[in-house]
Amino acid sequence: MQGETKMVIYVCEDCVDGIFTGVYNAWASRLGHANVALRVEGPTDLELFAEYRSVETDAQKAQKVADTIRRRMGETSYEMIYRAALANAPEKADCIYRVLAVGLSRHTDSRIARHLIEGLQDTNACRIFELSRKVQNEAHRYEGFVRFREIEGGVLFSEIEAENQILPLIGEHFSDRFPNEHFLIFDHCSGDCLVHAARQQWFIWRGAGKELPEYLEDRSGFSGRGAGRESCGKDPEKARRVEESADGIRKNEEQLSSERIEKIKYPAYSAAGLPPVSEEEIQRLWRGFCGSISIRERENLNLQRQFWPLKFRKWMTEGSGQESRL
Amino acid sequence: MEITQEMDLYQKLMILSDAAKYDVACTSSGVDRAGSGRGMGNCIAPGICHSFSTDGRCISLLKILFTNECVFDCRYCLNRSSNDILRASFTPDEVCRLTIEFYRRNYIEGLFLSSGILKNPNYTMELLYQTLYQLRSQYHFEGYIHVKAIPGASQELIEKTGFLADRMSVNLELPTAESLRRLAPHKTRKKILAPMRQVQIRRKENKEELVLYRNAPRFVPGGQSTQMIVGATPESDFQILSVAESLYRKFDLKRVFFSAFVQVNQDALLPALPGGPPLLREHRLYQADWLLRFYGFTAGELLSESRPNFNAALDPKCDWALSHLERFPVEVNQADYYTLLRVPGIGPKSARRIVQARRHGTLDFPALKKAGVVLKRAVYFITCNGRQMYPLRIEEDFILRNLLQVCERRPAETVTYRQLSLFDDGQMLGEVPEKLKLAGM
Repeated sequence: MQGETKMVIYVCEDCVDGIFTGVYNAWASRLGHANVALRVEGPTDLELFAEYRSVETDAQKAQKVADTIRRRMGETSYEMIYRAALANAPEKADCIYRVLAVGLSRHTDSRIARHLIEGLQDTNACRIFELSRKVQNEAHRYEGFVRFREIEGGVLFSEIEAENQILPLIGEHFSDRFPNEHFLIFDHCSGDCLVHAARQQWFIWRGAGKELPEYLEDRSGFSGRGAGRESCGKDPEKARRVEESADGIRKNEEQLSSERIEKIKYPAYSAAGLPPVSEEEIQRLWRGFCGSISIRERENLNLQRQFWPLKFRKWMTEGSGQESRL
Repeated sequence: MEITQEMDLYQKLMILSDAAKYDVACTSSGVDRAGSGRGMGNCIAPGICHSFSTDGRCISLLKILFTNECVFDCRYCLNRSSNDILRASFTPDEVCRLTIEFYRRNYIEGLFLSSGILKNPNYTMELLYQTLYQLRSQYHFEGYIHVKAIPGASQELIEKTGFLADRMSVNLELPTAESLRRLAPHKTRKKILAPMRQVQIRRKENKEELVLYRNAPRFVPGGQSTQMIVGATPESDFQILSVAESLYRKFDLKRVFFSAFVQVNQDALLPALPGGPPLLREHRLYQADWLLRFYGFTAGELLSESRPNFNAALDPKCDWALSHLERFPVEVNQADYYTLLRVPGIGPKSARRIVQARRHGTLDFPALKKAGVVLKRAVYFITCNGRQMYPLRIEEDFILRNLLQVCERRPAETVTYRQLSLFDDGQMLGEVPEKLKLAGM
């Protein structure tokens, strides 16, 4: 078998399930916490005297780890670790492992384990706290900065460029907000897409970047694509239900003709006999509003940029107009 | 001006959002409400900012007036009846559509509906109610709605509207009744406070109803707010802050907003403000407002009759700490939460984190930094394990000098001195004495 001193590095997929599987494998290897380390996939410096083992993501193992964290360390700690696992930081996997190694070891009192993540003196706990805060802040910002535009068939489409994998964090918010809308939020950085069909559970379509352009051109192609889709709810059990409901969405898509969707969405429109307003007109109204709501005597572009950095403006309806003013 | 031709939606939106922009409140906070699944929208308690205008203020709600026609003639207001400006009115349907279409695209968090007084207060309030009713019942909008209670409108109308809105507000406009009489001849303090009191009492009753029946309709769940204009009248900061404090205490307000006076009308009764709106003063008032609401300060601690205005160079908390140096330094590893809150550079979040992290061991300065403490201010007032970060004197002059260097730059208008340089052209010396002039210098 392996020598005692040789470091074994587990390389896991860069998603929550991947990291949790890595934690499971590293723990189950019984090599001792000091002799294992976790890395996420991606370009990193290789270590010379270490053995690399790649981790195959296993939903069941991940679920076990998630359940254990919840039971032993509490829901708040779990949420923090979950968010940290979504961060764009290669060291996150190892930090999570180190904190769990203390928190879940047999001797730790659960009263201590539940508050372990609050101990900012510990470098790993502190890093998880920082990453979690960073991810949460970005997710919160995007809850405001996502801009939908209506594309064919009344589908709402939005593009973002998020630093961290925030789509799973904003899915619940948007599907609660727009339960009767079909919407897509496409993340250019990760290439994933959040998909929500009216009155259905949302899911993350992994690797949508390759297929999405086609999809946008030909909406009818939607029902045929099941293979590239992968669910990733917060809760692995929920994820399974999502998988099931994904089939439901396809059926639902076929059932609902666009006419019927319109009626559900705007019962009052048809009643009042109002003509529909075009997408361009609405965008024009919004840009105009953003301009006229500003008080010229108080103009402060630095303050604006502090709250609303330029990187967010690229995909925002009112962003381009404001940028040119700077 | 009488407009005979029909205006399109874009023109109306431009006029009526422009007219609404002096209203400060654009918060969408205070209500947590999940969507019912039947309509569109939800509310989350911290609120969401969707965009930021070029003055750096957040755009969270579609902030519009229902109409900018007004029978009142308040001297500070753009829409006063004696101003010759373009007048426009929305129809309830137009407001609903704008809200729905903007909300659907995630432009906004909800609607902020205010209005000029069209015909009379009751007529205007009825229109606002109609709009909200349509938006909630026909368009099934479940997002955030902030609506103005029109002073002088009937109690019945305000109550009906309150069940549809998340937040209601009546603007106090000016800090004292006397100023109000001078600048807003059609408004009286009594008429403004009446709806405020009504909403307060009804909210209290509603809370009791909700205890009994969980699904009872909710009355103004986000609470009420108000706003005061700062700098249009001669009140001191102490007076303004005391008014804010009593509003929080006696009327259970969620927020009191301060609005730096912007000169939109030329009027003999209004002050001329050559330096632009008093933004720094407004900023200091907001800082103090936070100290009242989250830090357990009282107005009397921050200011007094003998010292009625805030220090322009220092924020109110630093200012308070400097005049109470006997309470410092505070030992971070032992002090209780409320003592920590009084330290400049430590806020509610970092104080909470410190208290939590102390359970796991002692804290040092790097750990404090990670907890979010602003060390450049806090460093003069705290010790970790009995030691300061650097050897520092706890002396008012020393701390003040150092705080001013890093804390905030002194505003330009208060600086009366300048560093001398070798190549000074003599302007610093002021008037050249006659003798030197004669000598040809």
